[in-house]
This record gives sequence, C-alpha cells and structure tokens, in this order.
Amino acid sequence: MPDPLIIARGLTHAYGDRRAVAGVNLDVAPGERVAIAGPNGAGKSTLLRMMATLLRPGAGTLQVLGEELPAGARRARLGIGYLAHNPLVYLDLSPRQNLDLYADLCGVPNAARRIDDLLERMGLLARAEDPVRVLSRGMTQRLALARMLLHAPRLLLLDEPHAGLDAAGTALLDAELEATAFDGRAAVIVTHEVERIGAVADRLVVMRAGRVVLDEPVGGRSPAEVRARYEGAIA
Amino acid sequence: MSAPANRPRWTRQLRGLIRKDLRLELRTRETVVAMVLFAVVTLTIMQFGFGTRDDDLTRFTGGLMWVTLAFTAVLGVGRSYVAEREQGVLDGLLVSPVPRVLLLAAKAITIFIYLVIVEIVVIPLVGIFFVKGPYWDAIGWIALVALIANVCIALAGTLFSGLALFTRARDLILPVLFLPALVPVVIAGAGATHAVAGGAYDMSEYRGYTLFLVGYAILFLLVCVATYDAVFDD
Repeated sequence: MPDPLIIARGLTHAYGDRRAVAGVNLDVAPGERVAIAGPNGAGKSTLLRMMATLLRPGAGTLQVLGEELPAGARRARLGIGYLAHNPLVYLDLSPRQNLDLYADLCGVPNAARRIDDLLERMGLLARAEDPVRVLSRGMTQRLALARMLLHAPRLLLLDEPHAGLDAAGTALLDAELEATAFDGRAAVIVTHEVERIGAVADRLVVMRAGRVVLDEPVGGRSPAEVRARYEGAIA
Repeated sequence: MSAPANRPRWTRQLRGLIRKDLRLELRTRETVVAMVLFAVVTLTIMQFGFGTRDDDLTRFTGGLMWVTLAFTAVLGVGRSYVAEREQGVLDGLLVSPVPRVLLLAAKAITIFIYLVIVEIVVIPLVGIFFVKGPYWDAIGWIALVALIANVCIALAGTLFSGLALFTRARDLILPVLFLPALVPVVIAGAGATHAVAGGAYDMSEYRGYTLFLVGYAILFLLVCVATYDAVFDD
C-alpha cells in the first residue's frame, strides 16, 4: 500500500485558551477524497490550515507529502493546492497576471502554455486580460480553481469549494475531484454541504469540538444516508 | 494531469513578486502618486512656513528634506501590504513554496523603487525651495546618500509593516515602530546632505555619515533575514 499523503497524530491547535483542534488522528492515502464535515467551530478549517502549512501544530505530529511539519513546510508546499474561502487572487490584476505570479512562485514549467490551457478549461480565456474586480463571483471562483491546479499539486486542500461556484465551475471542480481518485492525488474537502459529500468524496470525517467523532467510507451511500450518519455523529 | 512544478528558482520567485507589485501600482496608481503629492505639499508648506525666498535656508536643507522623506516613507510603507490584506491574498503567497525572506525582499525592492521616484522630484525641489548658493553640482552626492538611505528605509519599513500586518491597530503601530527606526537615517541623511549642499563640500563629514548609513543598512538586513520567517509563521 502506498504511503499516506497526510499522517496526523494527536494533532492539536489552540487559539488562546480555546482548543480548536484537539488530538486529531487522520491518514489520507493517495487516491482518497476525504470530506470533513461538522458544525461551525468544530475545527475543520483550522485542521485544513495546518495541513496547508498555514498554521503550526500546537501539539502532535503532522506529516504532509512525506514532509514533517513545520520543518519541511516549504518542500511540502510544492505539492499542495489550496482553495480557500477567499479566491487568493489580486482583484486589480487580470486572471493571466495572477496566474503568471503563481506560476513564478511555484516554478511551473512552460507557464504560458499551462496558463492558456487552464484559462481555456475554466472558460476564462476571453476575459483573461480584464481585472478580476470586474469578473462575476463564479468566474473569480473558477480562477481560484485554476490557481489551485496551476502547479499540478498532488494534494488538494479545499475549504467550502462549492461556495460561490457557478454551474460550470461546479462541474469542473467535481470532475477534478473525481480524477484524483485515479491518478494518485488526494483531496481533503471541508464542507457544510453534507448531501453533496457522496458525490465528491469517498470517505466522511465528522468533527465536533475539535475531535474526530466519525470516520467512515461513504461509497454507495445515498445523500439521505450520509446526512443521517452525519447528524447521528454530531448529536 | 500535467507535469508537476519543479523546485522554483528564487530569482524567478523574486522577479514575479516585484512584477506583481509594480503591475498593481501601475493599475491602481495609489501609492507612488500619493507619496509624491505628499512630499511636494509638505515641502511647499515648509517653504511658506519658514519664510520667503530671501531667507537663506541652506543650513536647514538636509533636515527639511529628510524629515519630508521619512514621513513620505511612512505613507508608502503603510500601504505596502494593503492589497494582500484587503483582498485576502496573503494565504495564497504563504501556501506557495516561497522563502519568507523573499516576500520581504520583494516588498523592500518595491519600496526602494517608490522612494527613488519620490526623490527624483524631492531632491531638485529642495534645491529650488531652500538652497542659496551652489546645489546642482552636489546633486549626485545627495542622490548617492539617498540611495543608501533608501535601503535602510525599505528594509526597516518592510520588516515593521510585516509585523504590523498581524495586529489590529496596524495603522497606529506602524508609525510608532517605524519612525524611531528612521531617526538615525534622518540624522545621517541630513548630515550628509548638509555636508555637500550650498557649496560646503565637507567630504570627510559626508563620508562618515554615508558609512554610518551603510552600516545601518547591513544591520537591518541581518535583522530581517534572522526574523522574517518568524514574522510570517502563524
């Protein structure tokens, strides 16, 4: 069995006195798509930000793409694609200029061609030179998706990825997530949309008060069954 | 799935970050225009405040110029992370495989460029407003000391604006941290300018102040390299 892309043991993070993540153990293997759900304040986004190297673990150990964090954070970042609440793009630059920047930062080879391909795939080629500020929310989210995929990351970390996406963007994202199951990448998806989990993930992790309270496969379950399992876990 | 990214070269990362800042400035024209206008207005107010053209303000030239440049720098440095903060882009930079010190270097180089643009206007204007006697012959020496001082200002400014970025009262904290760090720059810049403006040409004094600025720049460079990772972690 291939080595997991994420190994978390006893992972903890606190904001002041409040423990947002409290002793989480989690492995994510290549090809897996793991949905993390839970009520507000459960620690989902904090856990994801630690995996994305944006927060240091307070206690416990975290290995991402074979790199122990925080020491190996810079090497791990080469293989991480992160989609956040914010699109993480400059509103006064054009989509092409934003992707140019991230291509430089991530060392993307043949950047111009890769950027053109992604802009075309995301339906943004005709608006590639407009400032992001004048694009619709859906277009901006598709640009965020292009930014995440630009350097062909092995690990996708997505925080509420469907929020603000239009129908075209949703289809592109779902296709990308489906592809991860076959090409050795992995995805961790933080979501509130419990009904959608069966379509985009093959494993459900439910968090409550910073702890994992359910971790099981969702393959073959109907949206109603997933919802029932989720509500049972957070009750 | 396309080929994964190679380990990026730092030169490419640095170039990308500087190009991004300059593109943003060209698109918005918010920072440099404000800095130039602020400096010109400040010098004009001082010119009126200190008397008419008949008064010889040559001996105050260095002080007037460097106090103006210091406050103008605070204005520019205060805006250096505005786009990242207001548009929530910082996480995008931090999740990229960029050494944190390159984020500092790129911002420092951008601020350096902005200061040079301001000085292209300010240095001649100071001569017109305040100096009686020869000034234009010394403009090269004044420009040289300005370039060295710019390195100090840009490094200190970027470090403190990075620190202030994660505080709530950042607009208050930045000047409180940054202005005291500029005091040695103002003293040395004013001293060096005074040494050559108005035909004085005290090159020994000029050299002393200039070497002090070089030392101050090296000190800040070391502080930045030593601390900048910590500034952006968590």
